[in-house]
Amino acid sequence: MLLDFARLGSWRLLLGLIAALVGAFLLLPIALIVALSFGSSQWLQFPPPGWTLRWYEELFADPEWLGSFLTSFQIAVVVTVLSVGIGAMASFGLTRGEFRGRELLRALFLTPMILPVVVLAVALYAFFLRLHLNGTFIGFVLAHLVIALPFSIIAISNALERFDRDIETAAIVCGASPLEAKIRITLPGIRLGLMSAAIFSFLASWDEVVIAIFMASPDLQTLPVRIFGTLRQDLSPVIAAISTVLIALTAGLMALAALLRKDARS
Amino acid sequence: MTFLDIRNVSKHFGSVAAVSNVSLEIARGEFVTFLGPSGSGKSTTLYMIAGFFEPSAGDIRIDGAGILGLPSNKRNIGMVFQRYTLFPHLTVAENVAFPLRVRRRPQAEVARKVEEMLALVRLDRFADRMPAQLSGGQQQRVALARALAYDPPLLLMDEPLSALDKKLREEIQAEIRRIHRETGVTILYVTHDQEEALSLSDRVALFNHGRIEQVGKGRELYEQPSTRFVAGFVGHSNFLDCTVAARNDHRADVVFPDGSRLPGTPVHRGAHAGAAAGLMIRPDRVRIGARGAAATSAGVDAVLSDATFIGDTFHFVATTAWGAPVSIRVPASAPMPHQHAVGDRVRLSWDPGQARLFDN
Repeated sequence: MLLDFARLGSWRLLLGLIAALVGAFLLLPIALIVALSFGSSQWLQFPPPGWTLRWYEELFADPEWLGSFLTSFQIAVVVTVLSVGIGAMASFGLTRGEFRGRELLRALFLTPMILPVVVLAVALYAFFLRLHLNGTFIGFVLAHLVIALPFSIIAISNALERFDRDIETAAIVCGASPLEAKIRITLPGIRLGLMSAAIFSFLASWDEVVIAIFMASPDLQTLPVRIFGTLRQDLSPVIAAISTVLIALTAGLMALAALLRKDARS
Repeated sequence: MTFLDIRNVSKHFGSVAAVSNVSLEIARGEFVTFLGPSGSGKSTTLYMIAGFFEPSAGDIRIDGAGILGLPSNKRNIGMVFQRYTLFPHLTVAENVAFPLRVRRRPQAEVARKVEEMLALVRLDRFADRMPAQLSGGQQQRVALARALAYDPPLLLMDEPLSALDKKLREEIQAEIRRIHRETGVTILYVTHDQEEALSLSDRVALFNHGRIEQVGKGRELYEQPSTRFVAGFVGHSNFLDCTVAARNDHRADVVFPDGSRLPGTPVHRGAHAGAAAGLMIRPDRVRIGARGAAATSAGVDAVLSDATFIGDTFHFVATTAWGAPVSIRVPASAPMPHQHAVGDRVRLSWDPGQARLFDN
């Protein structure tokens, strides 16, 4: 290696310092919000004058927050199931199929990742207006599916490309129909890819706010939308508490994804 | 009685003919190897039998019944692949059980058969392992057990040992021979390794450019090659450039570039008078003698240019008067009237019947 860490000598100190600063820059806001959620000041004062669980008690006692939490969770679960299902079928077509325009189609499937989310949100809003889908559960699911699908297709296509197709062929020669071979052999063989597709699809929907703001109605609001709306009215530490819950769930899922990747390598 | 009948089978990919008009009849219980360089059509022919490709023309029959309309999963053929194809999420036992499970066989039969198959490949103690915990050789033995679990009448093997090292390869070759003897299954085996082909099979079909050049026992291919390609591919050989001077029924007289004339070399086909040809002689059929001795056999004068001792044989290289190298192998145990040394002027001789003449 040209830049071997072990041979950098005293430069290592500087490198470590820079890394620590970058890490702090990235993590301090999160640490701050977590600290504030346990702080006793109701003005989000830092450092907190004392510690309390009061804001969490308020949070869990409020049916509106719980309703939004449930809405977010239900939408994310349905999006996950659809995204993995459709993503798997699309991935089979994109990695196994031999047809004209395949690469174009792959690029098309991935455009929602590059497109500015707000543009996508406006377009979906205008489109759903005609279909009367704005403010409905189905509208939310369809809109989030658009941004979740690219994550699924990338994760599953990668897994499928690494999976030796001869293994599926062997199952067919053994007497399994092509569909049976895919269900009993290929899908379990790419299960790590399917699981990371599920995790990323869930997260794509779970913490999405821009599209959700356009889709939301007074009685159907996801958690990020309610946080955003509440913030504009008053700056309650309850927001810090709900943010901490969001962070914990997201971090948990990311850790699970990292574990899966580690498992796949070993 | 023909069991597997391959009739005038061709396969074109676009304008490329991968297989051209291949015909072969294989008897029940026979072990036949498709040998040939890569791209010679041997694997493509195997894949058409497995049902991965449809032939562009021709017919394939098993026991008199055409199989071309059947998809791979209905052909009831066993197959071992070049790469490791065990199902990674299933145990060894479940891998072997898989073909029986998709056939909805009763659990008792599955259990009995799995045990029998793992005993056959001597991996009974590995039933509960995962494929990733096995060596490459063990994985291919499990693949063999899986391919035989449903008693297919025909087993296809597509270079199954090419990923293994030499010692392991020889070990598993012996296993495959034993399993062939014990089960009596008909085996079609694809390889580019001539030693593997000769040591395993009853008959070898040598492929080149999408055609079968010659079919026969290994010894026939070695001793009576019908084309120059066969002579060059199977075993070591010397080709000496010459011109055909005269030709009668099955023999020809040839003239070497230095003007020396050699009578009576067998010809399979071609080699008309006046044509440029190549005289093929195996290195182990050439004798080294002193110059001027009574020339009772065919031969040429040459100078020894290299001598190597490689354990059980001496390997000499001699150069003829016109500069062509001739490789000679002499068993180390053979009585040698002279101690030959590099630079010696010698007479190379051979039994005329053991050389063969091919068109250039």
